[in-house]
Amino acid sequence: MRHLLMLLTLCAGPVWAAPASYSLQPEASVVGFETDFGSDKITGQMPITRADLTLDFKNVSASRVAVTLDAAHADASFPFAAQAMKGPKVLDSKDFPQISFVSTSVKSKGDGAEVTGKVTIRGVTKPMVMQAMIWRQKGTEAGDLSHLTIRLTGAVNRSDFGAVGWSDMVGDQVRLDILARIVRAE
Amino acid sequence: MWRNTPTAFGLTTRLLHWLMAGLIVALLVLGTVLVRIQPDLSTLWLYGLHKTLGLCALVLAFARLVWHRISPPPAPTGPPNQWANRAARAAHVALYLLMLAIPLSGWIASSATGLDVVIFGQITLPAIAPTSEALENAGFAAHSVLTKLLMALLLTHIAGATLRGLKHDGTLRRITKGS
Ligand code: HEM
Repeated sequence: MRHLLMLLTLCAGPVWAAPASYSLQPEASVVGFETDFGSDKITGQMPITRADLTLDFKNVSASRVAVTLDAAHADASFPFAAQAMKGPKVLDSKDFPQISFVSTSVKSKGDGAEVTGKVTIRGVTKPMVMQAMIWRQKGTEAGDLSHLTIRLTGAVNRSDFGAVGWSDMVGDQVRLDILARIVRAE
Repeated sequence: MWRNTPTAFGLTTRLLHWLMAGLIVALLVLGTVLVRIQPDLSTLWLYGLHKTLGLCALVLAFARLVWHRISPPPAPTGPPNQWANRAARAAHVALYLLMLAIPLSGWIASSATGLDVVIFGQITLPAIAPTSEALENAGFAAHSVLTKLLMALLLTHIAGATLRGLKHDGTLRRITKGS
C-alpha cells in the first residue's frame, strides 16, 4: 500500500466538492474472506458482480455504497471448503447466488470512514458495519480522483444468516477484506 | 493352491480374510480417531485415507462373496448341527452384512454432505445419495452404530476362533496355514 497515496477524506478541496458516482473495475477488484478451521484458516475469494458508489468527499455522510457479490463463483483455499461453502448448509448459492450490501450511513472516522449498512446473505438481511479506506490509484496525479482504490473490512457471523453448516469444525465469524478499484463516471 | 477345497481354505480366501482383517481393524481405529480430533488442514488427509481404505474394504467384501460362489469355502469342522457351528455361521453372516452395510453407510452419509467423496487423493466417486442433512445424519448414525456392532462381533469372532485354537480342532490352522 505504500505506493498508494492516502487521501484524507476529511480535507475538502475544490475538486472534491460535488458527490460523484463511481463504478467498479471488476477484473481489478476482489473480495477476500477468512475463517477459522481448527488451528488453521480457510481463505477464499468471491467475485464482485456490481458496485455502485456515490462518494462525496466534502460531505462524507452523503456517500452511498451498494455492492453485489457473486457467491456462486466463490473460491476457497482447498476444494472441499469451496464446495462446503457454496452448498445448501452454508451459502446455498444455488438458491441464493448473490450476496448484497447496501449502505445506510457513512461517517468519517480517523483516516477513513465507517460504513453502516445492511447485508443480505442466504436471503437473510442483517445490519453490518465496515471500515473503509480510500486511496488514489497508482499512477494518477495528485488531486485526480477519477480512479480510486477502496478497501472495506468487516466481519459477519454466519450463524446470523442460517449458514451454520460444519459449525463444529469451521468458525462462525467470517472476516471480509474487500479491495475494489473504481472509476468515476464521466 | 488358490482355490478352496471341501476341507481346506485356498490361498485366495486366506489372503482375502487376513487382508480384510487388517483393513477393518485399521478402519475401526482410524474412524474412532476421526470423530475425536478437531479437523484442520493437517488432519484432512485422514478423512481421505479412511474413505480410500473403506472403499477398498467394500470392494474386497464383494470380491470375497463372488469368489465364494466360484470356489465355495469348506464346511465347518465337527458335526454341522453343533451349537458352536450354528453360532459361528450366524456370526459370519452378520459379519458379511456389516462389511457391506458399514462402508455403504459411510459412502451414503459422505455423499449426502454434498461434498465430493475423493479416494486415493484424486478419484472422485459418484454421489450415491442426494445432498440432504437428514440423510447425512441418519447415515453417520448408522455408520456409528453398525461399527460398534462390528467391534462386538469381531471380539466374539476372535474369542470363538481362540477357543477352537485351544482345542486344536484344526479350525484356526486351516484359515492361517491352509490345512
Ligand atoms: C469397512 C469399512 C469401514 C469401517 C470399518 C469404518 C469404521 C468407522 C468408524 C469406527 C467410525 C467412527 C464412528 C463413530 O464412532 O461415530 C467411522 C467414521 C467415519 N467413516 Fe467410516 N468406516 C468404513 C468405511 C467408510 C467409508 C467407505 C466411508 C466413506 C466413503 C466412511 C466415512 C466415514 C466418515 C466421514 C466418518 C466420520 C463420521 C463423523 O465425522 O461423524 N467410512 N468409520
